Amino acid sequence: MRSARKPLLSVAGISKTYGPNEVLSGISFSLEPGSITGLVGENGAGKSTLIKILAGATAPTAGAVALNDVALPTTTGAVIEAGVSVIYQELTDIPDMSLLENVLLGNLASTWGVSRKRLNRERASQSLHKVGLGDLDLGTPIRELSISQRQLAEIARCLVRDAKVLILDEPTSSLPEADVNNLLTVIEGLRSEGLCILYVTHHLSELFRIADRLIILRDGRMVGDAPISEWNERLLVRTMLAKDLENAYPWVPRDLGDELLAISGLQAKGVEGGTLSIRRREIVGLVGLAGAGRTELMKAIAGVNPVKSGTITIDKRSLRPGKLGAARRQGVIYAPEDRKTEGLVLNSSISSNIAFGNYGPISKFGVLNPKAMTQRAVDFAGKYDIRFRSPQQAVGELSGGNQQKVILARINETHPKVVLFDDPTRGVDVGAKWGIYEHIFNLAANGAGILITSSDTDEVLAVSDRVFVLLGGKVVAEFKRDEFDRERILHLASVANASNED
Amino acid sequence: MTITKQAPTSAASRTLAGPGSFIHNVLGNNIAPIAIALIAVSVVLSFMTPVFFTAGNLSNIVTQSAVVGIAAIGATFVIITSGIDLSVGSNIALSGLAGAIVGQSVNGIMGVLIVLAVAVAIGAFNGVSVSWLRLAPFIVTLAVMGMTRGLTLQFSQGQSVYGLPTALNWLGSADLFGMKVSAILTVILFVIAHLVLSRTTFGHRVFAVGGNAEAARLAGINVKAVVFSTYVIAGLCAGIAAIILLGRLDSATPNAAIGTELNVIAAVVIGGTSLFGGKGSMVGTFIGVLLIGVINNGLTLLNVSAFFVQFVQGALIFLAVLLDALNNRRVRNLRA
Repeated sequence: MRSARKPLLSVAGISKTYGPNEVLSGISFSLEPGSITGLVGENGAGKSTLIKILAGATAPTAGAVALNDVALPTTTGAVIEAGVSVIYQELTDIPDMSLLENVLLGNLASTWGVSRKRLNRERASQSLHKVGLGDLDLGTPIRELSISQRQLAEIARCLVRDAKVLILDEPTSSLPEADVNNLLTVIEGLRSEGLCILYVTHHLSELFRIADRLIILRDGRMVGDAPISEWNERLLVRTMLAKDLENAYPWVPRDLGDELLAISGLQAKGVEGGTLSIRRREIVGLVGLAGAGRTELMKAIAGVNPVKSGTITIDKRSLRPGKLGAARRQGVIYAPEDRKTEGLVLNSSISSNIAFGNYGPISKFGVLNPKAMTQRAVDFAGKYDIRFRSPQQAVGELSGGNQQKVILARINETHPKVVLFDDPTRGVDVGAKWGIYEHIFNLAANGAGILITSSDTDEVLAVSDRVFVLLGGKVVAEFKRDEFDRERILHLASVANASNED
Repeated sequence: MTITKQAPTSAASRTLAGPGSFIHNVLGNNIAPIAIALIAVSVVLSFMTPVFFTAGNLSNIVTQSAVVGIAAIGATFVIITSGIDLSVGSNIALSGLAGAIVGQSVNGIMGVLIVLAVAVAIGAFNGVSVSWLRLAPFIVTLAVMGMTRGLTLQFSQGQSVYGLPTALNWLGSADLFGMKVSAILTVILFVIAHLVLSRTTFGHRVFAVGGNAEAARLAGINVKAVVFSTYVIAGLCAGIAAIILLGRLDSATPNAAIGTELNVIAAVVIGGTSLFGGKGSMVGTFIGVLLIGVINNGLTLLNVSAFFVQFVQGALIFLAVLLDALNNRRVRNLRA
């Protein structure tokens, strides 16, 4: 550890309350230049609020933040100016602008309002070199770059602004494995340049790779702060959750039934020949890198996206592909990857979100029964362990795990035959994952066929009875659970000339 | 939000002022401020002019608000789906003209049916364009506004059609129980629309589509059909409004209801329906319509110039949009 250095950013006794809720309480720590500090905690532990305070987006109820012994300004613009930059989970670039314009966004050097071209190009390429994008043409529209390149460009933007403190909020949540490695290397490079980095993630392995120190939040309090050498994964999980997590994925062998869903030669946007099958009570995993067409294949099967050709058979009856309504009537349901944009109506209440698309139990001749609606939400709260204050609460106020359970509840209650779960635990913390998988396993045990995918390959392997490997929109291999070989599967998922195998 | 601080749900944990409670719902829908504004303006006006707070004048306000009010019912459905209908004013003019011509040459009942048919057809055209052709509602209805007004001027050759059969005039001019039929009808339609919006699966779907169309689609809601229906309802409402206007004027004029769309949108937005979609209520729209009606009425009673009345209406719209945006930002900040 580099503890001898003078702290750069110091947080002293920060508390934050929203109404009666105390979200943060007495948080104190300081960060040194040239260090990477991991910040971990369950969803709702207070990480986001802490980041917002550090970014100047919200003011603490008590306590103070100082940068180089000077109090941090109170507006986001001034905080960036002072040298504290936040990289958020979602990209904040302007897709139609060039790489150069994006990196220098709001920061073009000019004389009398006329941009100083050469100086600007120099400043941009200097920062881009530091993040490993030095070879790219500055004029490229940023929308043509990959997600990970765009993310690196955002870091370069912070460097142009002379950031001293860089806060990364789950930067790897939407990156494929190879790009994660690259990002972590870049971050390590920035540490040696003297930047002070606060790294927030759910991926514990990343922390053990790059962090010098870990700070753990639970229920708005700091419950751990020690150099990385004093942590191991088990201790970390126990500190985060205040309990041991023996098995994050409660997989149990099930008695698999006959073939329920068969897809053959499916061609659609991003899908180049999907052929796979799912048996009754079976959980089938889809493994593939980002861009391999996992989401596209699921959406094609469920009729969310139009289908060019191919056949889908459910229960030995053929289903007209590419028709959402037809698929739903046959009990084929897609659970979208992005809860906020495709899964829920965030402004609507929990009881409404449960009701959408399934009015049978709560209405008569098109007239709603509000009492039944509320009762249903209350029943589901118990059945699916959804934690909320009131059924009328907006679903957007719930944590990611609870939002996912609302979607799960809605799907379960339609008694589906086949459910396609697209990254059901995305952005959900370790504790809530267990609960979500418990319901998915129950669904399978009750006779449904499940197709599941996740950005975390290990997770797919842990929960599946069988996996199919996707590469470039094509199903290239199939493995039964007793044949699972992580290295081989990952190899097939990333190599173009893989031979087919059983 | 911290999950750990949320108590597991029980009926007892619901409080009077907490989220989901009556008070929260009312404030959340932006109805309370506007209701207070309506009461405040009415109180001030009744002190300033003795005529204001008389049964005759109050009933007069509702009567005069009938055209805007009924059109605003349809607009509320459309705006909750995050759409907009700018064609309502010219729809009233064209359907009214068509009905008047048929009414004079055939009979009044036929005239009424033609008004409704034309108005619904225009709404259906909007609906098809927005839902199946996936065109932007603002542009589509702006285009339709131009097209229908143009057809009105062409068919009428710029001339008004005077002297309509009784059946066509009845709704807009007859009295019942000492009140105008149009005023009674407005209130009845608002009650029905309120029940449809808040108590039926259709209303629930409208909110879902406005709140998040893709999520609604994936949950099995036929988004295109819902959006289409809201424009058809808006067309139907324009037709009813057109019949009332015909009866009130005993004529169809090519320039009828010019600019009505602005008053309609103003009433809906002032009533707390969000232009961003997914939020709104008929009660709010009704109060919004009354507020605009009361202010117009008050300014007239106080002999304020008609030019200034227009300024006040514009300022009201600005205020409503501002409140809508601020409220949206507050909600988003809570979530972030």
